Amino acid sequence: MMRCRRATRWMVTALDGELPARRRRALDGHVARCPACRHEMATTAAVLQGVGGLATSSEVPGRLEQATFRRVRLLAAAEAERAATRAWWMRLRLPVLGFATAVVAIVAVGLMRSGDRPLAPRPGDGGRRVVAQAPTKDKPPLVASRERRDPKATATVPAEPPPQLAAAPELFMDLPLLRNMEKLEHFEAIRTTTLDDGGEQSNG
Amino acid sequence: MATVSADEAAPESAERPREVPAGSTPDAGSGFAAAAADPDVALMLRCQSGEEAAFQDLFRKFSPRVLQFARRFVGSEARAEEVTQDVFVQVFRFRHRYRPQSRFSTWLFTIATNLCLNEVRRPERHLRVDLWNRRDGEERPEGPPLPDPAAVTPEEGAAARQLGQRLEALVAELPPKQRAALLLSRMDGLAYRDVAEALGSTEGAVKALLFRATQTLKRGLRDYL
Repeated sequence: MMRCRRATRWMVTALDGELPARRRRALDGHVARCPACRHEMATTAAVLQGVGGLATSSEVPGRLEQATFRRVRLLAAAEAERAATRAWWMRLRLPVLGFATAVVAIVAVGLMRSGDRPLAPRPGDGGRRVVAQAPTKDKPPLVASRERRDPKATATVPAEPPPQLAAAPELFMDLPLLRNMEKLEHFEAIRTTTLDDGGEQSNG
Repeated sequence: MATVSADEAAPESAERPREVPAGSTPDAGSGFAAAAADPDVALMLRCQSGEEAAFQDLFRKFSPRVLQFARRFVGSEARAEEVTQDVFVQVFRFRHRYRPQSRFSTWLFTIATNLCLNEVRRPERHLRVDLWNRRDGEERPEGPPLPDPAAVTPEEGAAARQLGQRLEALVAELPPKQRAALLLSRMDGLAYRDVAEALGSTEGAVKALLFRATQTLKRGLRDYL
């Protein structure tokens, strides 16, 4: 059974035709039985009717119409001008971007090439300078680049073999020079032996 | 000019299903179907494509209602005209945000409500009670007196006018949102869901606003009812 408080809250919505059908039937049933709510419903209807009777429109002065149209025309002209400026900039944007990209690429390539340049060996330094710079992961070993060797550097025999070679003597055992080194040990004896020595040393 | 953000004044019209105008198919999703059913939608679509004449037609059709609506929120006739002008400039500026699935009048009064409520919040605004009082020698557009079909004598007519003026004053004293909900709901073609959209609120909130507004008016008109 509906209470008067709820019925009062539904009255405006019902009078505006926005109350769902089921609730409207419940409200109508309550109003039929309750004199106080019947009076409240009539009062609400009168007030809404009065508000509905208030002026909802009024005459618009000519100056208002002209002023509004003028502002709108200025707005439309400003929009057209912005659109034209934007189109001009868009037409130039791609060539400018392409040019900028090309400049950046050229500068980047130039920087990379200057970083790849190997150090030229100084006279008297031989291979020591080259050995001092150990190869890194992203750089090839300097010993591999032989293009820039100074042709004027005099070839001097190092006093000691390079560490890599000294650590692996077996690398040179196949050399004919070393294979015949034993024979050379007797060279001095062969050279100095004469027939007058009595054949103390046999030839062989 | 009322300071209002573009998004606040001219929102994207909602695409939820709503009461479609008579003659259009319920599932009409395209603007063309809505335009065929609602001439205001057709005018707005032409306005979106840049037709100045379409905008002028919309102005002439709706500016009287917008002006009267604005009068009930601002303190002076001149300011009401300025607000009306601002409303239609916003309509033009943000015409591309309008979606034909909703009524043009709903979208228009969403903008008008936002600007009017902003106007009310301005600190320098002073509500002049004499807006609803006739000034000497001034032609002021006055709304019709409270309808009274039984009024046949001058005395009854005068009483009806007095009641109407009292009602106008009471409406002017309502809190802005209650006032907006009450006035919008009395406009032709605006259902509660349209009023809710214009206020950026819900139907339930609109019902509550209308209930409170009506209770206030009933208390103020106790001597007349």
